[in-house]
Amino acid sequence: MPPTAVPSVSLAMLLADSRLPVGAHVVSGALEAALLDGLPREQVGAYMRARMATIVQVEAGTAVVARQAAAAGRAARGTGAPGEDGPDADAPGADAPGSDGLGAAALAEVARAWEARTPARPQREIGIALGDGLARLARTVWPEAFPARAGRGPHLPRPVVLGAIAAHAGLTAVDLVRLVAYDDAQTVASALLKLEPGDPLAAAGLVLEACAALEPSVPELSRLTSPTAIPAAGAPQIEEWATAQSVLPRRLFRA
Amino acid sequence: MPDTPHTHPYRSLRLGVAGPVGTGKSSLIATLCRALAAEIEIGVITNDIYTDEDARFLRSAGVLDPARIRAVETGACPHTAIRDDVTANLAAVEEMEEEFSPLDLVLVESGGDNLTATFSPALVDAQIFVLDVAGGGDVARKGGPGIARADLLVVNKTDLAPYVGVDVAQMVADAESAREGAPVLALSRSDAASVAALRSWLLGLLAAHRDGAHEPQDPGPMAPHFHAEDDEHDHSHGESHDHAHDYEHPHDHEHPHEPVPAGSGA
Ligand SMILES: Nc1nc2c(ncn2[C@@H]2O[C@H](COP(=O)(O)OP(=O)(O)OP(=O)(O)O)[C@@H](O)[C@H]2O)c(=O)[nH]1
Ligand SMILES: [Mg+2]
Repeated sequence: MPPTAVPSVSLAMLLADSRLPVGAHVVSGALEAALLDGLPREQVGAYMRARMATIVQVEAGTAVVARQAAAAGRAARGTGAPGEDGPDADAPGADAPGSDGLGAAALAEVARAWEARTPARPQREIGIALGDGLARLARTVWPEAFPARAGRGPHLPRPVVLGAIAAHAGLTAVDLVRLVAYDDAQTVASALLKLEPGDPLAAAGLVLEACAALEPSVPELSRLTSPTAIPAAGAPQIEEWATAQSVLPRRLFRA
Repeated sequence: MPDTPHTHPYRSLRLGVAGPVGTGKSSLIATLCRALAAEIEIGVITNDIYTDEDARFLRSAGVLDPARIRAVETGACPHTAIRDDVTANLAAVEEMEEEFSPLDLVLVESGGDNLTATFSPALVDAQIFVLDVAGGGDVARKGGPGIARADLLVVNKTDLAPYVGVDVAQMVADAESAREGAPVLALSRSDAASVAALRSWLLGLLAAHRDGAHEPQDPGPMAPHFHAEDDEHDHSHGESHDHAHDYEHPHDHEHPHEPVPAGSGA
Protein backbone atom coordinates (compact mmCIF):
# COMPACT_ATOMS: atom_id res chain seq x y z
CA MET A 1 0.00 0.00 0.00
CA PRO A 2 2.67 2.64 0.73
CA PRO A 3 3.92 4.47 -2.31
CA THR A 4 7.36 3.21 -3.21
CA ALA A 5 8.77 6.05 -5.25
CA VAL A 6 6.88 9.25 -5.79
CA PRO A 7 8.61 12.49 -6.67
CA SER A 8 9.16 15.21 -4.14
CA VAL A 9 6.50 17.40 -5.71
CA SER A 10 3.79 14.78 -5.25
CA LEU A 11 4.73 14.37 -1.60
CA ALA A 12 4.61 18.13 -1.18
CA MET A 13 1.15 18.27 -2.72
CA LEU A 14 -0.12 15.48 -0.51
CA LEU A 15 1.25 17.06 2.65
CA ALA A 16 0.05 20.54 1.73
CA ASP A 17 -3.48 19.45 0.90
CA SER A 18 -5.94 20.69 3.48
CA ARG A 19 -8.04 17.61 2.75
CA LEU A 20 -5.33 15.46 4.31
CA PRO A 21 -6.89 14.06 7.48
CA VAL A 22 -4.29 15.10 10.05
CA GLY A 23 -6.38 17.34 12.26
CA ALA A 24 -5.21 20.71 10.93
CA HIS A 25 -8.64 22.21 10.29
CA VAL A 26 -8.84 23.53 13.84
CA VAL A 27 -6.06 26.05 13.24
CA SER A 28 -6.27 29.66 12.03
CA GLY A 29 -2.73 30.84 12.72
CA ALA A 30 -4.23 32.99 15.51
CA LEU A 31 -6.10 34.96 12.86
CA GLU A 32 -9.34 34.74 14.81
CA ALA A 33 -7.80 36.51 17.80
CA ALA A 34 -6.02 38.99 15.53
CA LEU A 35 -9.27 40.01 13.82
CA LEU A 36 -11.03 40.31 17.15
CA ASP A 37 -8.21 42.49 18.37
CA GLY A 38 -8.83 44.84 15.46
CA LEU A 39 -6.56 43.63 12.67
CA PRO A 40 -8.34 45.04 9.60
CA ARG A 41 -9.21 42.57 6.88
CA GLU A 42 -7.09 44.54 4.40
CA GLN A 43 -4.05 43.81 6.50
CA VAL A 44 -4.39 40.05 6.51
CA GLY A 45 -1.94 39.85 3.61
CA ALA A 46 0.57 41.83 5.66
CA TYR A 47 -0.10 39.50 8.58
CA MET A 48 0.69 36.50 6.41
CA ARG A 49 3.93 38.14 5.24
CA ALA A 50 4.87 38.97 8.82
CA ARG A 51 4.46 35.29 9.64
CA MET A 52 6.78 34.47 6.72
CA ALA A 53 9.43 36.74 8.20
CA THR A 54 9.16 35.24 11.67
CA ILE A 55 7.27 32.06 12.57
CA VAL A 56 7.73 30.42 9.19
CA GLN A 57 11.50 30.96 9.40
CA VAL A 58 11.54 29.01 12.64
CA GLU A 59 9.17 26.30 11.42
CA ALA A 60 10.85 25.81 8.05
CA GLY A 61 14.35 25.94 9.54
CA THR A 62 13.32 23.34 12.12
CA ALA A 63 11.86 21.08 9.43
CA VAL A 64 15.02 21.25 7.32
CA VAL A 65 17.31 20.51 10.25
CA ALA A 66 15.05 17.65 11.36
CA ARG A 67 15.20 16.25 7.84
CA GLN A 68 18.96 16.42 8.03
CA ALA A 69 19.02 14.73 11.44
CA ALA A 70 16.74 11.93 10.28
CA ALA A 71 18.79 11.47 7.11
CA ALA A 72 21.98 11.27 9.16
CA GLY A 73 20.35 8.59 11.29
CA ARG A 74 19.56 6.64 8.15
CA ALA A 75 23.10 7.12 6.84
CA ALA A 76 24.54 5.88 10.09
CA ARG A 77 22.56 2.71 9.55
CA GLY A 78 24.12 2.40 6.14
CA THR A 79 21.06 3.38 4.19
CA GLY A 80 22.40 6.57 2.68
CA ALA A 81 21.00 10.06 2.67
CA PRO A 82 17.97 11.01 0.61
CA GLY A 83 18.74 12.33 -2.84
CA GLU A 84 17.64 15.76 -3.89
CA ASP A 85 15.47 14.46 -6.67
CA GLY A 86 13.75 11.40 -5.35
CA PRO A 87 13.47 8.91 -2.56
CA ASP A 88 16.51 6.85 -1.85
CA ALA A 89 16.55 3.11 -1.50
CA ASP A 90 14.03 2.10 1.09
CA ALA A 91 15.40 0.47 4.17
CA PRO A 92 13.99 0.13 7.63
CA GLY A 93 14.65 3.55 9.07
CA ALA A 94 14.82 3.42 12.80
CA ASP A 95 15.19 7.18 12.84
CA ALA A 96 11.50 7.76 13.07
CA PRO A 97 9.70 9.58 15.84
CA GLY A 98 9.01 7.12 18.57
CA SER A 99 11.61 4.57 17.67
CA ASP A 100 14.70 3.85 19.64
CA GLY A 101 16.90 3.90 16.58
CA LEU A 102 19.61 6.23 15.48
CA GLY A 103 18.29 9.68 14.87
CA ALA A 104 15.65 9.70 17.58
CA ALA A 105 17.96 11.55 19.94
CA ALA A 106 18.94 13.98 17.20
CA LEU A 107 15.26 14.66 16.43
CA ALA A 108 14.62 15.29 20.10
CA GLU A 109 17.41 17.84 20.05
CA VAL A 110 15.85 19.57 17.05
CA ALA A 111 12.54 19.58 18.89
CA ARG A 112 14.20 21.31 21.83
CA ALA A 113 15.65 23.95 19.52
CA TRP A 114 12.15 24.53 18.13
CA GLU A 115 10.69 24.84 21.63
CA ALA A 116 13.29 27.42 22.58
CA ARG A 117 12.30 29.48 19.54
CA THR A 118 8.56 29.09 20.11
CA PRO A 119 8.00 31.01 23.30
CA ALA A 120 4.21 31.09 23.49
CA ARG A 121 2.93 27.94 25.18
CA PRO A 122 -0.22 27.68 23.03
CA GLN A 123 1.97 27.69 19.92
CA ARG A 124 3.99 24.82 21.28
CA GLU A 125 0.84 22.96 22.25
CA ILE A 126 -0.74 23.20 18.82
CA GLY A 127 2.61 22.35 17.21
CA ILE A 128 2.67 19.11 19.20
CA ALA A 129 -0.99 18.31 18.47
CA LEU A 130 -0.40 18.77 14.75
CA GLY A 131 2.82 16.75 14.98
CA ASP A 132 0.87 13.91 16.58
CA GLY A 133 -1.69 14.01 13.77
CA LEU A 134 1.02 13.91 11.14
CA ALA A 135 2.84 11.09 12.96
CA ARG A 136 -0.40 9.12 12.88
CA LEU A 137 -0.44 9.52 9.11
CA ALA A 138 3.24 8.57 8.88
CA ARG A 139 2.71 5.38 10.87
CA THR A 140 0.04 4.33 8.42
CA VAL A 141 1.69 5.35 5.16
CA TRP A 142 5.35 4.62 6.00
CA PRO A 143 5.10 1.90 8.67
CA GLU A 144 8.59 0.67 7.80
CA ALA A 145 10.05 3.96 9.04
CA PHE A 146 7.48 4.99 11.62
CA PRO A 147 6.79 2.04 13.88
CA ALA A 148 3.88 2.03 16.30
CA ARG A 149 4.65 3.96 19.41
CA ALA A 150 5.13 1.90 22.47
CA GLY A 151 2.85 3.44 25.04
CA ARG A 152 3.39 7.13 25.43
CA GLY A 153 6.20 7.75 23.01
CA PRO A 154 7.71 11.14 22.37
CA HIS A 155 5.41 13.86 21.07
CA LEU A 156 7.28 15.79 18.42
CA PRO A 157 6.17 19.09 16.92
CA ARG A 158 4.86 19.25 13.40
CA PRO A 159 8.00 20.62 11.70
CA VAL A 160 10.14 17.85 13.22
CA VAL A 161 7.73 15.13 12.08
CA LEU A 162 7.56 16.77 8.65
CA GLY A 163 11.36 16.74 8.45
CA ALA A 164 11.48 13.05 9.39
CA ILE A 165 8.88 12.26 6.73
CA ALA A 166 10.84 14.31 4.21
CA ALA A 167 14.01 12.35 4.95
CA HIS A 168 12.30 9.01 4.61
CA ALA A 169 9.96 9.66 1.73
CA GLY A 170 12.20 11.86 -0.36
CA LEU A 171 10.91 15.40 -0.05
CA THR A 172 13.72 17.76 -0.98
CA ALA A 173 14.84 20.48 1.40
CA VAL A 174 13.68 23.31 -0.84
CA ASP A 175 10.29 21.69 -1.34
CA LEU A 176 10.07 21.20 2.41
CA VAL A 177 10.68 24.91 3.07
CA ARG A 178 8.07 25.88 0.49
CA LEU A 179 5.62 23.39 1.90
CA VAL A 180 5.91 24.88 5.39
CA ALA A 181 5.44 28.36 3.96
CA TYR A 182 2.47 27.41 1.80
CA ASP A 183 0.80 25.58 4.65
CA ASP A 184 1.14 28.55 6.98
CA ALA A 185 -0.29 30.96 4.42
CA GLN A 186 -3.11 28.66 3.40
CA THR A 187 -4.03 28.05 7.05
CA VAL A 188 -4.56 31.78 7.57
CA ALA A 189 -6.31 32.25 4.23
CA SER A 190 -8.79 29.40 4.76
CA ALA A 191 -9.54 30.61 8.26
CA LEU A 192 -10.20 34.05 6.81
CA LEU A 193 -12.87 32.52 4.56
CA LYS A 194 -14.69 31.25 7.63
CA LEU A 195 -14.19 34.33 9.79
CA GLU A 196 -14.64 37.21 7.33
CA PRO A 197 -15.36 35.71 3.93
CA GLY A 198 -14.99 38.74 1.66
CA ASP A 199 -13.97 37.69 -1.82
CA PRO A 200 -12.85 34.07 -1.46
CA LEU A 201 -10.83 34.20 -4.66
CA ALA A 202 -8.80 37.15 -3.45
CA ALA A 203 -7.60 34.98 -0.55
CA ALA A 204 -5.86 32.71 -3.06
CA GLY A 205 -3.88 35.70 -4.29
CA LEU A 206 -2.82 36.46 -0.73
CA VAL A 207 -1.44 32.94 -0.39
CA LEU A 208 0.73 33.37 -3.46
CA GLU A 209 1.97 36.77 -2.32
CA ALA A 210 2.92 35.34 1.05
CA CYS A 211 4.75 32.43 -0.57
CA ALA A 212 6.59 34.88 -2.80
CA ALA A 213 7.65 36.82 0.27
CA LEU A 214 9.45 33.78 1.61
CA GLU A 215 11.24 32.94 -1.67
CA PRO A 216 14.38 35.00 -0.92
CA SER A 217 14.89 32.95 2.27
CA VAL A 218 14.45 29.55 0.61
CA PRO A 219 18.10 28.89 -0.37
CA GLU A 220 19.48 29.74 3.04
CA LEU A 221 16.79 27.91 5.01
CA SER A 222 17.12 24.81 2.88
CA ARG A 223 20.85 24.59 3.56
CA LEU A 224 20.60 24.61 7.36
CA THR A 225 22.07 21.58 9.10
CA SER A 226 22.55 22.45 12.75
CA PRO A 227 19.85 23.04 15.38
CA THR A 228 21.76 26.05 16.64
CA ALA A 229 21.49 27.67 13.20
CA ILE A 230 17.69 27.56 13.12
CA PRO A 231 16.48 31.18 12.94
CA ALA A 232 15.21 32.60 16.21
CA ALA A 233 12.82 35.19 14.88
CA GLY A 234 10.52 36.40 17.60
CA ALA A 235 7.14 37.88 16.79
CA PRO A 236 5.73 39.29 20.02
CA GLN A 237 2.45 40.45 18.46
CA ILE A 238 1.78 37.05 16.90
CA GLU A 239 2.71 35.34 20.16
CA GLU A 240 0.29 37.59 21.99
CA TRP A 241 -2.50 36.79 19.55
CA ALA A 242 -1.71 33.07 19.76
CA THR A 243 -1.97 33.32 23.52
CA ALA A 244 -5.21 35.31 23.33
CA GLN A 245 -6.60 32.76 20.87
CA SER A 246 -5.99 29.93 23.33
CA VAL A 247 -8.36 31.46 25.86
CA LEU A 248 -10.94 32.99 23.52
CA PRO A 249 -14.45 32.11 24.59
CA ARG A 250 -16.73 30.79 21.81
CA ARG A 251 -13.91 30.50 19.35
CA LEU A 252 -14.20 28.75 16.01
CA PHE A 253 -10.52 27.81 15.95
CA ARG A 254 -8.43 26.14 18.58
CA ALA A 255 -5.29 28.04 17.53
CA MET B 1 -6.29 -8.53 7.93
CA PRO B 2 -8.56 -11.12 9.47
CA ASP B 3 -11.11 -9.95 11.92
CA THR B 4 -10.32 -11.91 15.04
CA PRO B 5 -11.03 -9.59 17.93
CA HIS B 6 -11.56 -12.36 20.46
CA THR B 7 -8.01 -13.55 20.06
CA HIS B 8 -6.69 -10.15 21.12
CA PRO B 9 -6.66 -8.43 24.48
CA TYR B 10 -9.66 -6.28 25.12
CA ARG B 11 -10.05 -2.78 23.76
CA SER B 12 -12.83 -0.51 24.98
CA LEU B 13 -16.10 -0.24 23.13
CA ARG B 14 -16.16 3.15 21.44
CA LEU B 15 -19.72 4.38 21.16
CA GLY B 16 -20.73 7.55 19.30
CA VAL B 17 -23.77 9.62 20.25
CA ALA B 18 -25.02 11.86 17.42
CA GLY B 19 -28.15 13.82 16.64
CA PRO B 20 -29.45 17.36 16.18
CA VAL B 21 -28.83 20.16 18.65
CA GLY B 22 -30.56 19.87 21.98
CA THR B 23 -32.13 16.45 21.51
CA GLY B 24 -30.52 15.24 24.72
CA LYS B 25 -27.19 13.67 23.75
CA SER B 26 -25.32 14.95 26.81
CA SER B 27 -28.23 14.03 29.06
CA LEU B 28 -28.32 10.52 27.59
CA ILE B 29 -24.60 10.15 28.28
CA ALA B 30 -25.16 11.34 31.84
CA THR B 31 -27.99 8.84 32.17
CA LEU B 32 -25.78 6.01 30.90
CA CYS B 33 -23.00 6.98 33.29
CA ARG B 34 -25.43 7.10 36.17
CA ALA B 35 -26.81 3.70 35.27
CA LEU B 36 -23.47 1.99 34.64
CA ALA B 37 -20.53 3.77 36.24
CA ALA B 38 -20.64 1.48 39.26
CA GLU B 39 -20.26 -1.61 37.07
CA ILE B 40 -18.03 -0.63 34.17
CA GLU B 41 -15.16 1.78 33.51
CA ILE B 42 -16.30 4.69 31.35
CA GLY B 43 -14.66 7.65 29.61
CA VAL B 44 -16.41 10.47 27.72
CA ILE B 45 -15.23 12.67 24.85
CA THR B 46 -17.38 15.63 23.84
CA ASN B 47 -17.22 17.58 20.61
CA ASP B 48 -18.40 21.13 20.76
CA ILE B 49 -18.69 23.60 17.99
CA TYR B 50 -17.38 26.43 19.99
CA THR B 51 -17.35 25.91 23.65
CA ASP B 52 -16.65 23.12 26.07
CA GLU B 53 -20.16 23.48 27.41
CA ASP B 54 -20.99 19.79 27.06
CA ALA B 55 -17.89 18.62 28.90
CA ARG B 56 -18.66 21.10 31.64
CA PHE B 57 -22.28 20.02 31.86
CA LEU B 58 -21.23 16.40 32.21
CA ARG B 59 -18.57 17.18 34.79
CA SER B 60 -21.06 19.14 36.82
CA ALA B 61 -23.58 16.32 36.61
CA GLY B 62 -21.22 14.47 38.96
CA VAL B 63 -21.79 11.12 37.28
CA LEU B 64 -18.14 10.45 36.45
CA ASP B 65 -14.67 11.46 37.59
CA PRO B 66 -14.23 14.86 35.85
CA ALA B 67 -10.83 13.74 34.53
CA ARG B 68 -12.62 11.11 32.47
CA ILE B 69 -14.55 13.75 30.54
CA ARG B 70 -12.67 15.57 27.79
CA ALA B 71 -13.62 18.12 25.18
CA VAL B 72 -12.32 18.07 21.61
CA GLU B 73 -12.47 21.24 19.56
CA THR B 74 -13.82 20.84 16.08
CA GLY B 75 -12.68 24.04 14.40
CA ALA B 76 -16.22 24.87 13.32
CA CYS B 77 -16.43 21.54 11.48
CA PRO B 78 -18.28 19.10 13.73
CA HIS B 79 -18.97 16.80 10.78
CA THR B 80 -15.33 16.68 9.75
CA ALA B 81 -14.16 15.89 13.27
CA ILE B 82 -16.26 12.73 13.53
CA ARG B 83 -16.13 11.56 9.97
CA ASP B 84 -13.54 12.64 7.42
CA ASP B 85 -10.78 13.79 9.75
CA VAL B 86 -11.11 11.99 13.05
CA THR B 87 -7.53 12.72 14.12
CA ALA B 88 -8.30 14.84 17.18
CA ASN B 89 -11.05 12.53 18.39
CA LEU B 90 -9.04 9.38 17.89
CA ALA B 91 -6.13 10.94 19.76
CA ALA B 92 -8.45 11.90 22.62
CA VAL B 93 -10.00 8.42 22.74
CA GLU B 94 -6.63 6.68 22.70
CA GLU B 95 -5.22 9.01 25.33
CA MET B 96 -8.20 8.34 27.55
CA GLU B 97 -7.88 4.59 27.06
CA GLU B 98 -4.19 4.75 27.90
CA GLU B 99 -4.65 6.89 30.94
CA PHE B 100 -7.52 4.97 32.50
CA SER B 101 -6.68 1.54 31.19
CA PRO B 102 -8.56 -0.70 31.07
CA LEU B 103 -11.72 1.15 30.07
CA ASP B 104 -14.83 -0.75 29.06
CA LEU B 105 -16.59 2.04 27.26
CA VAL B 106 -15.68 5.38 25.68
CA LEU B 107 -18.65 7.54 24.76
CA VAL B 108 -18.07 10.18 22.07
CA GLU B 109 -20.68 12.94 21.78
CA SER B 110 -20.79 14.67 18.42
CA GLY B 111 -21.22 18.40 18.15
CA GLY B 112 -24.98 18.76 17.83
CA ASP B 113 -25.58 19.72 14.26
CA ASN B 114 -28.09 18.40 11.82
CA LEU B 115 -29.52 15.22 10.48
CA THR B 116 -26.63 14.30 8.22
CA ALA B 117 -23.74 13.97 10.68
CA THR B 118 -22.65 10.41 11.42
CA PHE B 119 -19.49 8.89 12.87
CA SER B 120 -16.86 7.15 10.82
CA PRO B 121 -16.28 3.53 11.77
CA ALA B 122 -12.62 4.58 12.00
CA LEU B 123 -13.60 6.40 15.19
CA VAL B 124 -16.40 4.41 16.81
CA ASP B 125 -17.53 0.80 16.95
CA ALA B 126 -21.20 1.71 17.14
CA GLN B 127 -23.40 4.79 17.30
CA ILE B 128 -26.63 6.01 18.80
CA PHE B 129 -28.63 8.65 16.95
CA VAL B 130 -30.81 10.81 19.18
CA LEU B 131 -34.04 12.55 18.14
CA ASP B 132 -36.54 14.07 20.49
CA VAL B 133 -40.30 14.40 20.40
CA ALA B 134 -40.02 18.18 20.66
CA GLY B 135 -38.36 18.30 17.24
CA GLY B 136 -41.63 17.06 15.77
CA GLY B 137 -43.23 13.69 15.17
CA ASP B 138 -42.36 13.69 11.49
CA VAL B 139 -38.57 13.92 11.85
CA ALA B 140 -38.17 10.16 12.02
CA ARG B 141 -39.94 9.85 8.67
CA LYS B 142 -37.58 12.33 7.05
CA GLY B 143 -34.75 9.87 7.37
CA GLY B 144 -31.04 10.40 6.91
CA PRO B 145 -28.12 8.10 7.49
CA GLY B 146 -28.17 8.34 11.28
CA ILE B 147 -31.91 7.83 11.57
CA ALA B 148 -31.92 4.99 9.10
CA ARG B 149 -28.78 3.13 10.00
CA ALA B 150 -27.32 4.06 13.40
CA ASP B 151 -27.02 1.03 15.67
CA LEU B 152 -29.76 2.47 17.87
CA LEU B 153 -32.23 5.28 17.27
CA VAL B 154 -33.45 7.01 20.41
CA VAL B 155 -36.68 9.00 20.43
CA ASN B 156 -35.98 11.09 23.48
CA LYS B 157 -37.95 13.20 25.96
CA THR B 158 -41.12 11.15 25.63
CA ASP B 159 -42.33 12.84 28.83
CA LEU B 160 -42.80 15.98 26.73
CA ALA B 161 -44.99 14.31 24.11
CA PRO B 162 -48.33 15.50 25.51
CA TYR B 163 -47.10 19.09 25.51
CA VAL B 164 -45.90 19.09 21.94
CA GLY B 165 -48.74 17.05 20.51
CA VAL B 166 -46.66 14.10 19.38
CA ASP B 167 -47.91 10.53 19.29
CA VAL B 168 -44.87 8.60 20.55
CA ALA B 169 -46.12 5.22 19.38
CA GLN B 170 -46.61 6.61 15.89
CA MET B 171 -43.18 8.28 15.87
CA VAL B 172 -41.54 5.04 16.96
CA ALA B 173 -43.46 3.09 14.33
CA ASP B 174 -42.36 5.56 11.63
CA ALA B 175 -38.78 5.22 12.79
CA GLU B 176 -38.98 1.46 12.81
CA SER B 177 -40.20 1.40 9.26
CA ALA B 178 -37.49 3.88 8.16
CA ARG B 179 -34.99 1.55 9.82
CA GLU B 180 -36.38 -1.68 8.48
CA GLY B 181 -36.65 -3.18 11.90
CA ALA B 182 -33.39 -1.95 13.45
CA PRO B 183 -33.84 -0.97 17.11
CA VAL B 184 -35.68 2.17 18.17
CA LEU B 185 -35.96 3.18 21.80
CA ALA B 186 -38.48 5.63 23.24
CA LEU B 187 -36.63 7.25 26.12
CA SER B 188 -37.20 9.70 28.89
CA ARG B 189 -34.76 10.21 31.67
CA SER B 190 -37.72 10.31 34.04
CA ASP B 191 -39.07 6.95 32.84
CA ALA B 192 -37.10 4.28 34.68
CA ALA B 193 -38.28 1.45 32.45
CA SER B 194 -36.94 3.20 29.35
CA VAL B 195 -33.61 3.88 31.06
CA ALA B 196 -33.41 0.21 31.98
CA ALA B 197 -34.01 -0.70 28.34
CA LEU B 198 -31.20 1.62 27.24
CA ARG B 199 -28.92 0.09 29.82
CA SER B 200 -29.59 -3.45 28.70
CA TRP B 201 -29.15 -2.52 25.03
CA LEU B 202 -25.73 -1.14 25.90
CA LEU B 203 -24.71 -4.14 27.97
CA GLY B 204 -25.77 -6.41 25.11
CA LEU B 205 -23.65 -4.42 22.67
CA LEU B 206 -20.72 -4.48 25.07
CA ALA B 207 -20.97 -8.25 25.38
CA ALA B 208 -21.10 -8.62 21.58
CA HIS B 209 -18.09 -6.33 21.23
CA ARG B 210 -16.14 -8.36 23.77
CA ASP B 211 -16.99 -11.61 22.03
CA GLY B 212 -15.95 -10.15 18.72
CA ALA B 213 -19.48 -10.68 17.48
CA HIS B 214 -20.15 -7.00 16.83
CA GLU B 215 -19.14 -5.64 13.46
CA PRO B 216 -18.98 -1.84 13.13
CA GLN B 217 -21.25 -0.52 10.39
CA ASP B 218 -21.00 2.76 8.57
CA PRO B 219 -24.40 4.47 8.38
CA GLY B 220 -23.07 6.11 5.24
CA PRO B 221 -22.81 9.71 4.15
CA MET B 222 -25.76 11.81 3.03
CA ALA B 223 -29.19 10.29 2.69
CA PRO B 224 -29.51 10.26 -1.13
CA HIS B 225 -26.31 8.28 -1.45
CA PHE B 226 -27.19 5.29 0.64
CA HIS B 227 -27.26 1.68 -0.49
CA ALA B 228 -29.20 0.09 2.29
CA GLU B 229 -30.74 -2.46 -0.03
CA ASP B 230 -27.42 -3.42 -1.56
CA ASP B 231 -25.85 -3.68 1.83
CA GLU B 232 -28.40 -6.13 2.98
CA HIS B 233 -27.47 -8.58 0.30
CA ASP B 234 -23.84 -7.72 -0.08
CA HIS B 235 -21.89 -7.29 3.07
CA SER B 236 -18.68 -6.69 1.23
CA HIS B 237 -20.00 -3.39 -0.09
CA GLY B 238 -16.76 -1.73 -1.04
CA GLU B 239 -16.89 1.88 0.00
CA SER B 240 -17.39 1.73 3.71
CA HIS B 241 -14.91 -1.07 4.21
CA ASP B 242 -12.17 0.48 2.14
CA HIS B 243 -12.78 3.76 3.84
CA ALA B 244 -12.46 2.25 7.25
CA HIS B 245 -9.38 0.40 6.21
CA ASP B 246 -7.65 3.53 5.02
CA TYR B 247 -7.94 5.06 8.42
CA GLU B 248 -7.38 1.94 10.34
CA HIS B 249 -4.21 0.46 9.11
CA PRO B 250 -2.78 -1.48 12.02
CA HIS B 251 0.18 0.86 12.21
CA ASP B 252 -2.16 3.66 12.96
CA HIS B 253 -2.45 2.41 16.48
CA GLU B 254 -0.37 3.53 19.31
CA HIS B 255 -1.01 0.68 21.67
CA PRO B 256 0.78 -2.52 20.99
CA HIS B 257 -1.96 -4.32 22.88
CA GLU B 258 -4.65 -2.82 20.79
CA PRO B 259 -6.52 -5.56 19.05
CA VAL B 260 -8.90 -4.71 16.38
CA PRO B 261 -9.38 -1.36 14.79
CA ALA B 262 -12.89 -0.08 14.77
CA GLY B 263 -14.27 -0.90 11.41
CA SER B 264 -11.74 -3.43 10.22
CA GLY B 265 -14.42 -5.97 9.75
CA ALA B 266 -13.61 -6.59 6.11
N1 LIG C 1 -38.17 16.75 29.50
C1 LIG C 1 -37.01 16.20 29.20
N2 LIG C 1 -35.98 17.02 28.91
C2 LIG C 1 -34.80 16.45 28.60
C3 LIG C 1 -34.61 15.05 28.55
N3 LIG C 1 -33.32 14.81 28.19
C4 LIG C 1 -32.74 16.02 28.02
N4 LIG C 1 -33.62 17.01 28.27
C5 LIG C 1 -33.36 18.46 28.20
O1 LIG C 1 -33.09 18.82 26.87
C6 LIG C 1 -32.18 19.92 26.84
C7 LIG C 1 -31.02 19.58 25.95
O2 LIG C 1 -30.33 18.46 26.50
P1 LIG C 1 -28.82 18.14 26.22
O3 LIG C 1 -28.54 16.82 26.85
O4 LIG C 1 -27.96 19.29 26.55
O5 LIG C 1 -28.89 17.98 24.64
P2 LIG C 1 -27.68 17.79 23.59
O6 LIG C 1 -28.21 16.99 22.49
O7 LIG C 1 -26.49 17.30 24.29
O8 LIG C 1 -27.46 19.29 23.12
P3 LIG C 1 -26.24 19.87 22.26
O9 LIG C 1 -24.99 19.21 22.78
O10 LIG C 1 -26.29 21.34 22.50
O11 LIG C 1 -26.54 19.51 20.85
C8 LIG C 1 -31.78 20.18 28.26
O12 LIG C 1 -32.54 21.24 28.75
C9 LIG C 1 -32.14 18.89 28.97
O13 LIG C 1 -32.43 19.07 30.33
C10 LIG C 1 -35.73 14.21 28.88
O14 LIG C 1 -35.67 12.99 28.86
N5 LIG C 1 -36.89 14.85 29.17
MG1 LIG D 1 -24.59 18.07 24.33
